[in-house]
Amino acid sequence: MRESEEQLQAWMIGGLDGDAAAQAALLRALVPLLRSFYRRRLRGGEDDIEDLVQETLIAIHTRRATYDRERPFTAWLYAIARYRLIDHLRRRRILVPIENLEDILVTEGFEAASSARLDVDRLLASLSPKQARAIRDTHIDGLSVAEAASGAQIGESDVKVSVHRGLKALAALIRSNP
Amino acid sequence: MKKRGMDTEQLIQSLTRDVPAVRRHTVSRRIALGLVGGGAITTVLVAVLLGIRPDLHLAMQGYSFWLKWIYTIALGISAVIGVARLARPDDGSFGWLWLAAAPVLLLVGVCTAELAATPMRHWPHMWLGHSWMVCSWTVLGLSLPIFIGLLWSFRWLAPTRLRAAGATAGLAAGALAAAIYCLHCPETSALFVLTWYTLGIVLTTALGALVGPKLLRW
Repeated sequence: MRESEEQLQAWMIGGLDGDAAAQAALLRALVPLLRSFYRRRLRGGEDDIEDLVQETLIAIHTRRATYDRERPFTAWLYAIARYRLIDHLRRRRILVPIENLEDILVTEGFEAASSARLDVDRLLASLSPKQARAIRDTHIDGLSVAEAASGAQIGESDVKVSVHRGLKALAALIRSNP
Repeated sequence: MKKRGMDTEQLIQSLTRDVPAVRRHTVSRRIALGLVGGGAITTVLVAVLLGIRPDLHLAMQGYSFWLKWIYTIALGISAVIGVARLARPDDGSFGWLWLAAAPVLLLVGVCTAELAATPMRHWPHMWLGHSWMVCSWTVLGLSLPIFIGLLWSFRWLAPTRLRAAGATAGLAAGALAAAIYCLHCPETSALFVLTWYTLGIVLTTALGALVGPKLLRW
């Protein structure tokens, strides 16, 4: 479930006013957003992505004073996420033309993330509800198989099979209309 | 996957165990604190190492002292505005640069008028004064406490354009150090200020641009 800009901003401002529950809700809601943000930009493994997500959450929390309540929240969020990504790439000494990289990253943002989600939603709608949910839980929202299984009240092997068959069906679907 | 998912949740829980309220204008307050701290040290350095000029109260009645002060302080203020912008990750506006250009253009105008009113044989003296060899380097040295103060401020902030942030912090530190240096410096000509003060400020800006990407990383 992706939260709207208004909801995220409301939580952010709640956190700035000292509301710990709002701050926790904000950080939890950002986890899937950040995971898909980094997944689409990094070929690295899930470990790298999860490290980046955590570093970004820490940065968002410890530097939250730099958020200006009058400005859009997601712009601030993705500015920090981009900075963490660029810093990560520099640390790994991956040779990337940084200037171009920044240009490329700057033009993408919340809108791009939203429209990518629409594509995913459209694709998942073609699967059975069980398969769609299993893929969404484990591959988009980043739950473990066990968490997805208990959430959907089905067995773990059922989740794995649903994911496997669902992804196969999606691959066939994408191949058939490129 | 399972274990990492847990770690992120644990991280969120430990981060939000204690969520103090953040006052508005925290960014500005942090920058002001760094500036005041650094500026106090620079003022002490000028008073102790160089000495306040003995005729300061007289000089403060003359126009050349105020010309120097207005030039350096206006440049400093516009750079501080730039620092406050660049301290936020998502603020890339550079409109303050126009503000910084205004005092320079003003001083160029005053110089032209001064030169036009002075016989050409006095021009070299107006340009070099008594202290041209040390002025710029002194400004560079005096800017360091203020620059370090700003680096301290940045530790809580989130600059994403590190070179620009470093250069702007250097510009602010150089201009404000030059303003404090006015308490000592007896030079009076606008051409001197335009050349050697500005050179000192340019040096600190360059220093900031050089070290910014290294020292401002977070």
